[in-house]
Amino acid sequence: MTAVRVVGVTKAFGRTRALESVDFEADRGVTGLLGPNGAGKTTLLRMIATVLAPDEGRLWLLGHDPARARERTEIRHRLGYLPQEAGFHRGFTVFEFVDYVAILKSMTDRRSRHDEVRRVLALTGLKSVSGKRIRALSGGMRRRVGLAQALLGDPELLVLDEPTAGLDPEQRLRFREMVSQAGEGRTVVLSSHQTEDVAALCTRIAVIHQGRTRFVGTPAELIQQADGRVWTDTLRAATALAAWRTGDGTYRNVGQPPDGAELVTPTLEDAYLLLVGGAELEVLA
Amino acid sequence: MTTEVDMSAWHLEPELIRRYVAGAVGPELAASAEAHLMACAACRAALASHVDSGRAATIWADVVDRVDAPRPSLVERALVRLGVSEATARLVAATPTLRGPWLAAITGVLAFAAVAAQSDERWLRMFLVAAPLAPLAGVAVAFTSGLDPTREIGLATPYPGLRLLLIRTTAVLAVTVPVALAAGLALPGPAWLAAVWLLPAAGLTSAALALTGRLRPVLAVGVIAVGWVAVTTPTILEGKTGAFGGGAQLGWLGLAVGGVLWLTAGRHTVMMRLGRNS
Repeated sequence: MTAVRVVGVTKAFGRTRALESVDFEADRGVTGLLGPNGAGKTTLLRMIATVLAPDEGRLWLLGHDPARARERTEIRHRLGYLPQEAGFHRGFTVFEFVDYVAILKSMTDRRSRHDEVRRVLALTGLKSVSGKRIRALSGGMRRRVGLAQALLGDPELLVLDEPTAGLDPEQRLRFREMVSQAGEGRTVVLSSHQTEDVAALCTRIAVIHQGRTRFVGTPAELIQQADGRVWTDTLRAATALAAWRTGDGTYRNVGQPPDGAELVTPTLEDAYLLLVGGAELEVLA
Repeated sequence: MTTEVDMSAWHLEPELIRRYVAGAVGPELAASAEAHLMACAACRAALASHVDSGRAATIWADVVDRVDAPRPSLVERALVRLGVSEATARLVAATPTLRGPWLAAITGVLAFAAVAAQSDERWLRMFLVAAPLAPLAGVAVAFTSGLDPTREIGLATPYPGLRLLLIRTTAVLAVTVPVALAAGLALPGPAWLAAVWLLPAAGLTSAALALTGRLRPVLAVGVIAVGWVAVTTPTILEGKTGAFGGGAQLGWLGLAVGGVLWLTAGRHTVMMRLGRNS
């Protein structure tokens, strides 16, 4: 049984078509949705988190159909979700907030629920601040609170929307470590527009652009697509889809190389740029 | 610090230990036995073989939890004292409507309506149109995405939508109805004016809740509120208060009861539409 199976899903908001006949699968391990802002990643993740229904197409999550009320409840018992803009009751302490979500997750017995809250707070390094009000926490710590609530009940499926957005480099590294640990033994689907996050964490990638799936495979397979299409030069090449000046003063060009170009080993970012087009360069800059 | 003393001269009788463990001795004898146990290792050892270790571990874990878990807020403690479960008290504490700014707004509007009613009889009658809108608006606010910061997280949880709807609605009514009643008591007319809107408010709220099986709470409340204002305003401005008369009150009571019965009957089949498309 595939943990997440999405077939021919379409979703429109008014006249904007957010997703257009998207197919997607994810199983045990960390799968990344990569794409520029507005590509449709959040729309797809909200469907996988059972909070949004598609206009067309079907989903199967953990072997259940979220379109049916009873099956949706069953999925929700086994799901953890960190939304892109996770809100908090700022007057609650960290413990109270995570305990509140645990109540919503139908953990009724007070003591075992509190034990579970303590477990996820320890996993996310929040034990020492469990009595602090959420309004007194930094952005990075709040993101950890978001991850802690998503880990309640040891869910089989973890949906994380831009988990590292807004974090400084050190916080991002710590967060990656936590997500990587969380990905052991369960299915994690996360979105990012940061290729480094995806390269560091994901065993599989789906690139989404303008509401369509442009690539599905491993990071190595994506990088392979850019073989022979990245070169360095002293000038910005006219034929390049994207080019930028690097630290040593040369230009890194991505696109169709001229004859005799000095080819270099591509990165995931190069391959991603080739896939979504040079127009997205400024998003990444 | 406990000091071990030589208690070889006297020990608790096995029968007394058995009865003490079973909780079958009186408080004086229990206190005396405990004083001895504090100082006598031999009797503590004899007692240990009678104690259910599983039960002791459960009690100890409960003690640790109560000491370690943060103290709930004042609102939650007050609700627990009133007999509300601690889980429900936490859900009530997270209801957006119960925040200061919204309560201040509703109090302000009703106070303004009550003051305006002093000057003109038409305003006095309009108070009757406005008062039932206070609890209705409270229910809508409790489920408005902009005001409930954890709405998105909540939507992905298995907590029954109907139960959450009823918990939050009860909390909203418990706060807004006394405010509207107090404003009503400041009206210049007869005392019954202060209470005559209560059953219409109950009927309208119940109808809005029932509609939540088909529409989002904000939309359901919107439909009911607009309908209420559109129907009652013209007649009440003409001086007709039929919507609040004896027969109509029975009708409102019927609507309130009917809505609740409908919700209860459909609790396993009707999914509350607490979020867009969910």
